[in-house]
Amino acid sequence: MKNVMKIMLTAALLASTATVAIADGARIAVIGGKSDDAFFAKIKKGIDDGALVAKAHGSSVSYLQLQTYDNIGGDAANLIRTAISQHASIIAAPDWVGDSEDEAYKAATAAGIPVLLYNAGGGDKAKELGAINYVGNEEYPAGLAGGAYFATHGSKNVICVNTVPGAGNLEARCKGVADGISKEGGKSTQLPLPASSFGNPTAVAEAIKATLLKDPKIDGVVTISAGDADSAANGIQQAGATAKVKLGTFDMNETNLDRIKDGTQLFAIDQQPWLQGFLAVTLSDGFVNYGLKTATPVILTGPGIVDSSNIDATLAGAKAGYR
Amino acid sequence: MSQTQSPSLGNLLRRPETGSFLGLVAVFVFFTIFGGGNFASPTGAASWLNVAASLGIVAIPIGLLMIAGELDISIGSMIPAGSVTVAIISGHFHAPILVGIGVALALGALVGFINGILVIRTAVPSFIVTLGTLFAVAGLTLGLCVILTGTTSVAIKAPPEAKFLLGQFIGGAFQVTIFWWIVAVAFWGFVLHYSPYGNWILAMGGDKVSARNAGIPTERMTVLLFMCSGMSAAFVGISQAILYNSAQVSAGQSYIFNAIISVVVGGVLLTGGYGSIFGIVLGTLTFAIVNQGIYYTGFDANWASLIIGILLLLAVLMNNTFRKLALSYSPAKGKASK
Repeated sequence: MKNVMKIMLTAALLASTATVAIADGARIAVIGGKSDDAFFAKIKKGIDDGALVAKAHGSSVSYLQLQTYDNIGGDAANLIRTAISQHASIIAAPDWVGDSEDEAYKAATAAGIPVLLYNAGGGDKAKELGAINYVGNEEYPAGLAGGAYFATHGSKNVICVNTVPGAGNLEARCKGVADGISKEGGKSTQLPLPASSFGNPTAVAEAIKATLLKDPKIDGVVTISAGDADSAANGIQQAGATAKVKLGTFDMNETNLDRIKDGTQLFAIDQQPWLQGFLAVTLSDGFVNYGLKTATPVILTGPGIVDSSNIDATLAGAKAGYR
Repeated sequence: MSQTQSPSLGNLLRRPETGSFLGLVAVFVFFTIFGGGNFASPTGAASWLNVAASLGIVAIPIGLLMIAGELDISIGSMIPAGSVTVAIISGHFHAPILVGIGVALALGALVGFINGILVIRTAVPSFIVTLGTLFAVAGLTLGLCVILTGTTSVAIKAPPEAKFLLGQFIGGAFQVTIFWWIVAVAFWGFVLHYSPYGNWILAMGGDKVSARNAGIPTERMTVLLFMCSGMSAAFVGISQAILYNSAQVSAGQSYIFNAIISVVVGGVLLTGGYGSIFGIVLGTLTFAIVNQGIYYTGFDANWASLIIGILLLLAVLMNNTFRKLALSYSPAKGKASK
């Protein structure tokens, strides 16, 4: 027991000296998602790479992450307030739920701490809150691009599989797909799945299979995450509809990319998460240390479509963990 | 359980599984009426059998632990740990698939062993112990996965033999996992109902102190049961990685609740000491039908959770009614059916 106490005390001491040592440079607080979230892990890689640049300038980066996504807006607002109380020099954070988080952003600005939005929120929100930049994707235009891609590649009746119904950004994705495809004369409906299916690939695959069997007119499936696309590919195959039903997805993983390469998946809508994390940190670092600022405050990292035309370069990036 | 009973209607109604069976029939009829031809077709049956199979393989050991008065929620991170382990070893590092499967199963056994030892040595409720290992295993999986592969989603291309045994769709629709479930049911059915261990497990859940005083090695049994549930969870994780060609660090939390629901719908008492393997199988099937049947109906999928909740409550209520019948029954004097 005594030894344990000793170790803990030493660790606490080391930790406190470490904070003292870095207190001189800029303290960049980055708020982000769970790092076991495959998508956010790529943002985190960008943040870590950006931190190397920041460190060379004498800055430090602290990553405050959500523990769950069950109360995403409120929890993110609390993390912003934590960063304020730590006297961060700048706060970079996603604005997932504006209604819950905006007050915390305003508190940061009032305390004299500049703010940068990344990943979620959009350009208009950044302007409204006085944030120095918005770095990221805009969900609705990304959906529009996906819907249009479906329509021009022959799919006119698409289901948008939503495994987290009610999440604002995912609803915007599905709505974008629906609007994008209806401009070309097709239609898209949402398939919301209950929470008891989340994270269970078999339940997701079987739900998609059942929907395809029930409505044989469906000729396209789009999923809101890369993991769901793996389940969807399986559901389509089980329904015996591989030739007829095309698959697209928001975000991507290596298995998705392998399918695009061998032709069993049509496309993936990419928002380049690594760039979001990297730019959020390096732009923050440049602004605080040297007053650097981009002329266009909105930096869009997506949507980009990954399909058979650019699959090889993307696969190489994915192997290294950047895509 | 081993005493012979004459097959009268009264005895049939008092079997622990009767309520679960009627619940299953009720939801099946419900979805056959509202789901149309597709639900009752073989591909429709595959829909809920596939979901039931992977859930069932973990639900049985969870059920046995609940019968013995314990609970294991660490399966929620053991399933992704199993799939990520096999994907890292055999997918990322290209080691033979048998090595990956072996290490993943061993990891499940190890986590179960730690759970069991902590439960018997500390006397902390197993819910709390396994809550701790739930987080610990999740953190370890994430940390090691990122260090070793740089991502949290690992691709795996299993060789044909492994695909055949663990990842194939028979007739294009039925997961081979269903057969593993049948094997598990046969094995555990024998253990609980025909081997001496069965009565030990039931006795442990009824009254652990008396069970130990009666000479039952309760501690060894507890550790063994936890090891079995850890290995079963790892097995489900392995088969999912091979089925879907990829493994995610965070996929499995929904199994915790779904397994407990299946076990309870199957007639196992939350307080332990009562339940059967056949009942757990029926409960798993009921849950899977309710969870997947909705997609065959014309209902708006927005209502799915509501319908799942109501149907499950009805199934449990039906169960309770029949359990009361079974437990309050005493044969009239002189007319006892022997």
